[in-house]
Amino acid sequence: MKFSMKSIFSSSLFGIAAVILTSSMLGGCASPSTALGMTPTAIQTTNKHAQSVSLTVGGGKETSATGKSQISDAAFADAISNAITSSKVFSSVIKGSGGDTVLTVTIFNIDQPSFGFSFTVKMEAGWTLKRADTGAVIWQESIKSEHTATTSDAFVAIERLRLANEGAAKSNIAEALRKISALDF
Amino acid sequence: MLKKIIFISFLVTMLSSLTGCAVNRATASLTPGTDLKAMKTFYVVKSPKDEKDVDQLIKDFLVKKGYSVTTGPELAPPYQADGVITYIDKWFWDITMYMLELTINVRQPNNFPVATGNSFHTSLTRKSPPEMVEEVMSNIYKEDK
Repeated sequence: MKFSMKSIFSSSLFGIAAVILTSSMLGGCASPSTALGMTPTAIQTTNKHAQSVSLTVGGGKETSATGKSQISDAAFADAISNAITSSKVFSSVIKGSGGDTVLTVTIFNIDQPSFGFSFTVKMEAGWTLKRADTGAVIWQESIKSEHTATTSDAFVAIERLRLANEGAAKSNIAEALRKISALDF
Repeated sequence: MLKKIIFISFLVTMLSSLTGCAVNRATASLTPGTDLKAMKTFYVVKSPKDEKDVDQLIKDFLVKKGYSVTTGPELAPPYQADGVITYIDKWFWDITMYMLELTINVRQPNNFPVATGNSFHTSLTRKSPPEMVEEVMSNIYKEDK
């Protein structure tokens, strides 16, 4: 059997394959960043605080079907909560009020690319830890993080952007909890 | 005909692999308890990548509101102003260059962010740079109720 570039490109099989590949890549649009993808697996801890913490998260965005992958408040809160529970930085996480301390996290910037093979997402979140009884600020810091996802992570751009988002959020959480763990209060 | 289908398929595939979807949006948020009106003096940090003088447009907006504003490079905090403004401007080309996205942050003198605004407009609904600044800053101040 004789093969040439011309015969390959003009075969109907090739045409069908190209259409299927294209359709599979276009199927669906942006998917939101997941709590699982944003949860750091290993956090460097110094102290495990005996106090409980109430968690409030803001600044996130919902992902629209035609937009870019975003980080929602709920998913980011779940990721932080899971990371605190697994690292034991606090004794427990309380949704709403009632904790010994209050941790407020606000996503201020998510710098996302629109075009390219490597997607680097840069993120900035403001972290504030207060005493619940007095309202005194124990620690406050703006944490910047970034993550690059390449075509080897995901070929489809919307998927690649989601992975880059999740990586940036994961680093942000890990860095913040590492710093909180190092506090003495 | 088949060649055309193959060519179009590849073109669409390449585009889908290179770009994300886009939407037009304008959002702003403010950390609870923040009093923007108490900030009377501002320092606008000029973005090192900014070649379009967006810092001057932000300064113009704030000066029009009656505030005292200076611009300059990033400094080591604390800043000698009530509020610090940082921004990220993104530009895109479609016949001409236009501002695709603008994010503005208002920060405390210690550089901790307290408010953010973002506007994103694609080519067909593009706004001029002064209009983008006006939209983002107005949306931030609207949050300060």
